[in-house]
Amino acid sequence: MSSVLPVTRKPVTRNRAGRTVLVVVVALALLVAPLVLPAFANQTLIRIGVYAVAVLGLNIVMGYTGQVNLGQIFFLGLGAYVTAYGVKQGWNIVLVFVLACVIAGIVGLLVALAAARLGGLAIAMVTIALPIVGVPLAKRLDEFTGGSQGISARFTDAPDWSGLYNDQWQFYIILLVTAAAFLLGRNLVRGKYGRAFGVVRENEAVAASMGVSPYRTKVLAFTLASIFGGASGFLYLAAVQYTSPETLSFGHSITLLAAMVIGGAGSITGSLIGGAYYVLVPLLTNAIDPSFTTASQGAILLLVLFLLPEGLVSLPRVVRRLTRGPTKRPVPGNPQQPAPARRPVPEDAPEGLEQPERHDRS
Amino acid sequence: MGTFIQLVVDGLSAGSIYAALALAIVLVNQATGLINFAQGGLAVLSAYIAYAFVQFGLPLIAGIILAVVISFFIGALVERFLVRRFERGDPDTAVVVTIGLLTLVTGITAIIWSYNNLGFPSLFPLSSVDILGAVVSVRSLATTVTILVIMVLLQLLFLRTKLGLALRAVADSPASAALSGLPVGRLLMVGWGLAATLGAIAGVLVAPQLTLTPGMLDTALVYALAAVILGGLSSPLGCVVAASAIGVLENLVAVYIPLIGHDLKIAVPFVLIFVILILRPQGLFGRKVVVRV
Repeated sequence: MSSVLPVTRKPVTRNRAGRTVLVVVVALALLVAPLVLPAFANQTLIRIGVYAVAVLGLNIVMGYTGQVNLGQIFFLGLGAYVTAYGVKQGWNIVLVFVLACVIAGIVGLLVALAAARLGGLAIAMVTIALPIVGVPLAKRLDEFTGGSQGISARFTDAPDWSGLYNDQWQFYIILLVTAAAFLLGRNLVRGKYGRAFGVVRENEAVAASMGVSPYRTKVLAFTLASIFGGASGFLYLAAVQYTSPETLSFGHSITLLAAMVIGGAGSITGSLIGGAYYVLVPLLTNAIDPSFTTASQGAILLLVLFLLPEGLVSLPRVVRRLTRGPTKRPVPGNPQQPAPARRPVPEDAPEGLEQPERHDRS
Repeated sequence: MGTFIQLVVDGLSAGSIYAALALAIVLVNQATGLINFAQGGLAVLSAYIAYAFVQFGLPLIAGIILAVVISFFIGALVERFLVRRFERGDPDTAVVVTIGLLTLVTGITAIIWSYNNLGFPSLFPLSSVDILGAVVSVRSLATTVTILVIMVLLQLLFLRTKLGLALRAVADSPASAALSGLPVGRLLMVGWGLAATLGAIAGVLVAPQLTLTPGMLDTALVYALAAVILGGLSSPLGCVVAASAIGVLENLVAVYIPLIGHDLKIAVPFVLIFVILILRPQGLFGRKVVVRV
C-alpha cells in the first residue's frame, strides 16, 4: 500500500519531460471534453470528480495514516447540507464553500479528538456511528435540512455570458475544485506531514521516538479528511443540486471505503480510480440487474484484496512484473520486485505451525 | 412506575441482543485481534437459513437448531478460506475484508430472499405477564434468559474446559500457543465458528421482532460495537453489562427526554462513548495495555 516505487529507473530528465507532456495532454483533454461530450457523459465525469475528492480525503486518513474510517460519507453529507442551507440563505458562494469545509473540519476534529485516543480499530467502531446517527439527525433537524424530503438548491446554472450549457459550466467548476484538491492532497502526502502519516501508520512507537506525536498526527489526518469530505459535499450539491438523508446512508459509506481500497490505498491516482469505481460500477451492475449491485460490490472488493492488495492502481506494475518473467536478472542495488510494504502472510504459515501438534497426537 | 419498569425490562431485552452480538465480536477479537464487521450480516444469513427450513416444512425449533449448526460451519469456513490469508498481515486490511464480507453476505441474502420484509415465527408465545404493574411480553423475558444462559455456558466453556483453555491460549499469544503444540489454525476456525453460532442465536431471537430484511441487524451491530468499546475488548462480562446498560438507557432517554426521542436514541451510546473516552480510554472494564518501546 506504500507510495509508488519506481520499477525501472530511467534517466530522471526524460521521465520528467514525459510526465509534463502527459499532464498537459490530460489537462487539455479535460478542458475540451465537456464541449464535445454528450450531457450524460459530462454528468458522469462530474460525479466522478465529486467522489474522487471524498475518496482522496478517505485516503489521507486511511490509506496514508492507517485509520479505518467508516464515516467519510457523513462529512460529504454535512458539506452538502451546509451548502444547500447557505445557498438558500443567499450567502456568497465562496463563503458557502469555505463554510462547508470548515464546519466539516470542526466536526471531524471533535470526533477525532475522542476516537484517536482509542487507537487501532476502535476508530473504525466509532466512525461507523457517524452515518448511522447522521441519517436520523438529518431527518430531525428539518428546519435546516428539509427533513426526509431533503433540500434542493441551484447555484450552478451557467451564466449567459459564458454561452455554455449547465452541465458544461458545472464541469468546469468541479474540474477547478477537484484539480485544486488533488494538487493540495498530493503536496500534502509528499511533504513532511505525509511522511509523519506514513511513520505513524507503520509504527507508532517509532513515530513517537522520532518526535512525531501519533495522537496529534492521527487527529490532523482525520480533520483533513473531513475537510476534503466537506469540499466534496459542496461539489455534490453543485452537481446534483439536491440532498436528502439518503445521501449519507451507511451503505454509501461502505461503498466509499470499498472504492478507496479498490482504487489503491495510499495513492493519489488510486483516489481518482476510486471515484470512477464509485460512479461507474453501480451504473454497470444496475444496467445488468439492480439486485446484484450489493453482492457484486462485496465480491469485487474481496477479489481486489486477494489479487491486487495495492488496488487497481498497481495493476500496470503487476502486469509488467508478470510479463517480464522470472528470466531477467534483477539489477543490483535496485531489487526488481518492490515488495509491498505488507504482503499478506502466505497461507502455509499457520499450517506449518500446526505440524508439531499433529505429530504429538498421532 | 409501571412505565418505568416496562422500559427497563424492554431495554434489557434489547440489550441482551446487543450483548450476544458484542460477545461474538469479542470472541473473534480475542482469538485474532480483528473486529468482525460482518458479524451482523452473518447472523442475518443464519436467520434466513432457519426461515428457509421452516418454509420447507420443518418445525421451527428444528430449523433454528439446524441453522445454528450450519452457522458454525459457515463461520469456520469463512475463517479458513477468507480471513486466514489476512490474519497476520495489516489489521486494517483484515477489517476491510470483513467489511467486504458484510457487503457480500448482505447482497447474497438480498438476491436469494429480496429486500422485502419477511415474517419470522416466534419461538416463544406472544402472551405477556404482569410484573410490578408492567406488562412484559414472555418473548422478551425468554430472549433475555436465553442469552444469559448462553453467556454462562460460554463462560464455563472458557474457564472449565480444555478447549476453552486452548482458545484462550491462542488468543493470548498465537506464537506461544503453537510452540506448546496447540493447533492454532483449527482453534481459530473453532473460535470463528463459535462466534457465528452466537450471532445466529441473536439473529433468530431478534428476527420475529424486526421481521427479516437483509439489513436487519445493521443497527444492532452498531449498538454491539458501542457496547464493545464501552465494556472493553478484553472483557466479555463488561460487554454484557455495557450492552444491557445501553439498552436500558436508550429506552429511558427516548421516552423521558423528548428532545432526543425514538429517532435519535441511537446517538445516546456514542455520546456516552465520547464522554467516557475522555475519562477512561481503556473502556470501563478493559485492562490498560502498557506498550514498551
